[in-house]
Amino acid sequence: MSVHIKINREEKVTEAETIQQLAQELALPERGVALAVNNRIITRSTWEETPLHEGDDVTIIKAAFGG
Amino acid sequence: MIQFISHYTEQISYLKSIELALEGGCRWIQLRMKKATADEIREVAKPALKLCRKYGATFILDDHVELVKELGADGVHLGKNDMPIEEARKVLGPDCIIGGTANTFEDVKAHWEHGASYIGCGPFRFTTTKEGLSPILGLEGYQQIVAQMKAEGIDLPIVAIGGITAEDIPDIMATGVTGIALSGTVLRAENPVEEMKRLIQLI
Repeated sequence: MSVHIKINREEKVTEAETIQQLAQELALPERGVALAVNNRIITRSTWEETPLHEGDDVTIIKAAFGG
Repeated sequence: MIQFISHYTEQISYLKSIELALEGGCRWIQLRMKKATADEIREVAKPALKLCRKYGATFILDDHVELVKELGADGVHLGKNDMPIEEARKVLGPDCIIGGTANTFEDVKAHWEHGASYIGCGPFRFTTTKEGLSPILGLEGYQQIVAQMKAEGIDLPIVAIGGITAEDIPDIMATGVTGIALSGTVLRAENPVEEMKRLIQLI
């Protein structure tokens, strides 16, 4: 089942069920990433067990954004 | 999200300030020791980084691009008088977080084009923490910058900074910024750990 979320204020639809799956979908690198859901930083060690919910507001601070 | 910028008081050292922020639940730390030498920074950065790793927190240095790789930090924050972002990106490569200070939308756009990872945007109001400040932004300033970013499709995270207190946080977050950078307000509290917990609840 897909959920509607926001990533850095842009609306997105994803099949990911956890933050870990979302990170894989977005091909986030192993290092240089900070990620928050609804303004709470989620440490990488808990990405796997953190579920993604409809309407979640995800902020990703990653190294190379490419403008 | 909250970024805690290290600070000190008569009772609290730079390192202790970071430990208190982590204990209070903050997971994004910037080590700023203005006017300190590289050796002095190393001395604090090493144990600070260990603490951040223990808590799973992101650890960035203020200004000192040359120390990022040596120490294994996650990145660097660059002020207006520090190394240009473009140059830092070349030195550090694609795997480092690079934050840039912005006072206007033009700064934000330039940082975005030059490869910044996030923007520290301020000052919200006048502060004594930093010398040589740019004009204050206030709530309206953030509203305008966020709207311009949206209009031009710039999706960089933007962190408000500069003299922000707990009372300001709900209004500032309502402007659409993604986070708040805090320093002195946490340490001035009677119980900094509890204060950080309270601030995180407000975000």
